[in-house]
Parts: sequence; structure tokens; C-alpha cells
Amino acid sequence: MSHHAPPAAPSRSWHDFLIEHAQVLSITLFFILCCVLFSILSPFFLMPDNLLNVLRQMAPLLVTAVGMTFVITTGGIDLSVGSIVALTNAVCALALQAGLPWPIATLLVLLLGGIVGLAQGWFVSYQKIPSFIVTLAGLSILRGIALLLTRGYSIPIDEPSAAPLLTLGRGWILGFPIPALLAIVILAAGAFVLRETRYGRYVTAVGANAEAARRVGIPSARILTSVFVLTGVTSALAGLLIAGRLGSGSSNTAEGFELDVIAAVVLGGTSLLGGTGTILGTVLGALTIGVIGNGLILVHTSPFLVQIVTGAIILLAIWLNTRIFGRLSAGRKG
Amino acid sequence: MSRSAEPLMSLSGIRKVFGSNTVLKGVDLDLYGGECLGLVGDNAAGKSTLSKVMSGAYIPDGGEIRLGGEVVHIAGPSEARRHRIEMVYQDLSLCDTIDVAGNLFLGRELSRSGVLNKAEMLRKGREMLDALDIRIPDMRAKVAMLSGGQRQSIAIARAASFAPRVLLLDEPTSALAVAEVEAVLALINRVKAQGVAVVLVTHRLQDLFRVCDRIAFMYEGNKVAERRMEDTNLDEIVRLIVGGNRDEATALDQAGARS
Repeated sequence: MSHHAPPAAPSRSWHDFLIEHAQVLSITLFFILCCVLFSILSPFFLMPDNLLNVLRQMAPLLVTAVGMTFVITTGGIDLSVGSIVALTNAVCALALQAGLPWPIATLLVLLLGGIVGLAQGWFVSYQKIPSFIVTLAGLSILRGIALLLTRGYSIPIDEPSAAPLLTLGRGWILGFPIPALLAIVILAAGAFVLRETRYGRYVTAVGANAEAARRVGIPSARILTSVFVLTGVTSALAGLLIAGRLGSGSSNTAEGFELDVIAAVVLGGTSLLGGTGTILGTVLGALTIGVIGNGLILVHTSPFLVQIVTGAIILLAIWLNTRIFGRLSAGRKG
Repeated sequence: MSRSAEPLMSLSGIRKVFGSNTVLKGVDLDLYGGECLGLVGDNAAGKSTLSKVMSGAYIPDGGEIRLGGEVVHIAGPSEARRHRIEMVYQDLSLCDTIDVAGNLFLGRELSRSGVLNKAEMLRKGREMLDALDIRIPDMRAKVAMLSGGQRQSIAIARAASFAPRVLLLDEPTSALAVAEVEAVLALINRVKAQGVAVVLVTHRLQDLFRVCDRIAFMYEGNKVAERRMEDTNLDEIVRLIVGGNRDEATALDQAGARS
């Protein structure tokens, strides 16, 4: 074994690089493959308008996926994000309708997302109930509250004073959609925090080995709670973006959204077992899902096929991923 | 190895009860700096419980712990650490998906206003390993990629970096390949040479002869014997572990099965 190997070579071997980044590399390859395929099949695919449109539509998912990457890195899951989006989306519209100025409504909604996350995180980390159960309950309860508040109606956002919020969801700056810009900022911040800060390191440590983390004095329970606050706030932001884009708030927003978000994160190589997560992978995973949906529509397949193909591709990509990853690390250890 | 004149840590009459089961029945034990004590005994003899009492994981129901002559009450692992008592648990102390440097500094990361100072951790981590002559080619390799021996070495180096007075090692060499066992034992000797009181809990009797100066034998919650390494041999060790009330042939058979 390398116990007796000479001290650190300055450059790391290709093999090490491949193993360590196998997950991100394979999703990158997959993403490029999808792009090439659709650009051959449809002349419209690579047009800037189309690509920017994909990005604009993906913005809520990308934002929420940042929070989800943190949660899954700790080894947990948050099934309630779609319902938080619906609740915050509805509350935003109701607050504006009640005459609250838009900055207050925005703050209120973000705070609501944070509190919901805090409550769920408390049950997960301090009461030791599996996150799957807590957030499954959240999924049901929160959408129920949204339905109760709106009585199932869609609430229009037509107050002139709320115009800046609509711009947030619809506007463009220098030929670039504002929601996409916002998503990029959140993604960059998320990537920095996860990779470069002490907090990000603790998130990874709790997911990798909670017992070891606890023994060296990392406040595991607080870290575990905080990641659910992150999904809460990012979901609330997604709810705002959707409210802005559609100009209304509805309890039916973002149904099945949690599955897309989880799929994007997992496709990006973040392990459901915890301990490994990258925002770059998540971005690529989300974009792959977005591109497949967009591409299949551009090549005029039945819209019903999109779901089938997306599901199949997730399975295929992750299967390949585990095979490649498994083989590489087995080769290393053997 | 020259050991300290006075014991660094001194246990007297340590008792521990779980329900109706008395696991430790009044154990006396002295630990000296620069000395390695082997703590052996069959399963359920109380050696794990005793090491957990020393590391603060269990609070004893009776008896006294003295550190450097003063009576202390160790109420938990963090308090044990404050008293400079470190424990390396069997393969439980590392985060697989974090790199070598990150693991060495786990829980006490070097950072500037929350942002990790990775370069400094790489440099100081390398120094920590060099000080104990541990060779890990790549400080940025994820710990999952390393061999069992390298992982154990990193766990020990991390514990040693807290400048402990007492270092407790729980089965550090079980599940390691032969060459790796050698490396870990050599490492234990280097830690010992720094004046640390090392306690080695192990089932591997051959390791005792390589690093220990003294052996304490646990049997059914009592310390039944203590031997200096030079005054004993494998036969006697096996006899004392199995309780001395069986014939030698059975004892030797069991030793064969164990190692």
C-alpha cells in the first residue's frame, strides 16, 4: 500500500481525479450528450431565446435545489419543498391583496419559509424523527394550509404597487432573465458556503459520520436543523419567483416539484446516504432535466412522453454513475 | 522507555453498575507517562467499560479518579478532553468523504470569519503527520480512498495533536493487514516516546509484546493481575485472560482461535 510511498507528489494522478469527480464528470458528459442530441434534432434548440427560456423556467427549481443539496448532504431529505412553494406563493398573493407593500410581503414570505423549515428541522434533529416522515407530514399539512387560506382559488396579483415583484419573476436585465440571474447568485453562494466555509464542512461531516462529528464537538443537531431552514427559505424564494412570473398565487403551484428537485440533486451526484454533495453537480442535474423536457417538446414528441423519458434517464444516469464510480474505487482499493 | 515517576492517571475502586449487572467491581489502575499499558481480557470482562470510564463516556458509580495526584470528576467526553485524555475509537472517528487535512482538523477547523483556511490546514496537517513520521502521499485525498492502516494512523495523529496526557486506543490494529499493523504499532511507540500514557485495548496478544510495558488483566469486572512485559510470556497471558481455572491445552486452543 502507499504507506511507504514517497512523500506528496505535487500533481495528483489522473486516476485520483477521475474517482473523486466521477459523479460530476458523468453528469457533465450526460448533459453535453443531451445538448448535442437535441441541437441535431431541432434547429431551435441552441437558439439563445430558447436556452434563456429554459434557464428562466428552471430558476425556481435551481434555487430550491441549493437548499436540497445541503439537506441531502447531511443524509436527510425534504419532501415538503413543493408544498412550501405553494404555501408561500399563496401567502404572498394574499398579503399583497390585503394591501401590504411588496417589500414587507417578500420579507414575510421568506420568514414564513424559514419558520416552517425551523419547525421541521426541530422535529428531525431534536426529536429524532426521520426527515422522510417529518417532511412527508409537512408536504400534506402545508399544502392543506395553502388550500385553506385560498379556498382553492387562484389569487391574482394585480396591485400596481406590486409591480417590482412581478419584475422579479418576469423581468430581463441586459438580455438576461432576472429569475435566472437570481438563481445564479444563489447557486454561487451555495457552492461557496458548501465548499469553502466551516459551516459547509460541518454539513458534510454530519452527513459523512454523525457520530464522529458529535465526538469532535460539532453541534450536529443545530447543523441538521439549519439545513431545513435553508430548504424553507429557498423554497419561499422559489414561491416568490413563481408568484412574480405567473402574477398570481395558488395552492396548486408546484405539485410534484419536490420530486424534480430531488431528482436534480441526486442526478448531480449528491449521495442520498449523505456526506457527498456538490452544487455544480446539482446545477448540471437540474439543467439536464430542463433540457430533456425542453428538447422533447421541440422535437414534437408527445408531451406525455416527457415524464417517462425523464424518469428513465434519471434511472439510467444513476445506474451508470454507480457502475462507473463503483468500478473505479474498487480498482483503487483492490 | 523511561516512564514517569508518579502516575499521570490513577484509578482506585472504580465501580460501574448497569441495572442489576455489576460490570466493574472496584478496579485499581495506575497509568504512567511514557508507558504503554495493555488492557486485556475476554469479551465482557469489563475492559471496554473501564476504558469508557477513563474517556468520560461512562460515569463510574463508585471509586476515584486522580489526574496528576488530584481527584477529578470526569462528567463527559468533552471534559475528558479538557483534562487532556483522548480516545481513538475503532474506526468511528473519521469522515470518509472529507480529505485527510479536513479530518485532522475536524471540529477545530482553521478559518477566517467562517471561511476555511485550507492552505494553512494542509500545511499544519502535514506537519502533524511528519512529527509522527506518518506517510500519507496526498493530504487532499478523501479518507475513504485510504487503507485501513492509514486511516487508523490519521485517527491517532489527530488524537496525538491535542497533546494528550492519556491516549486510549480501542482495538487499533484489528482488521488491518500485516504491514499496516506494523506501521500502527510503530506509531504507538512514537506517541509513547513523547511521554504520553498510552492504553491499548486489544485482542491481538502479539501486539502486546511489540508496544506494551505492562499488562492489566480484566476478568469478570475485576483486575485479576498485572504483569510487566519482561516478567511474563504468552502462555501466562492466555491463562490469565481465560481466568486461570481451565487447563492449559484449552487455553492455548482458544488463544489460537482468537489471534
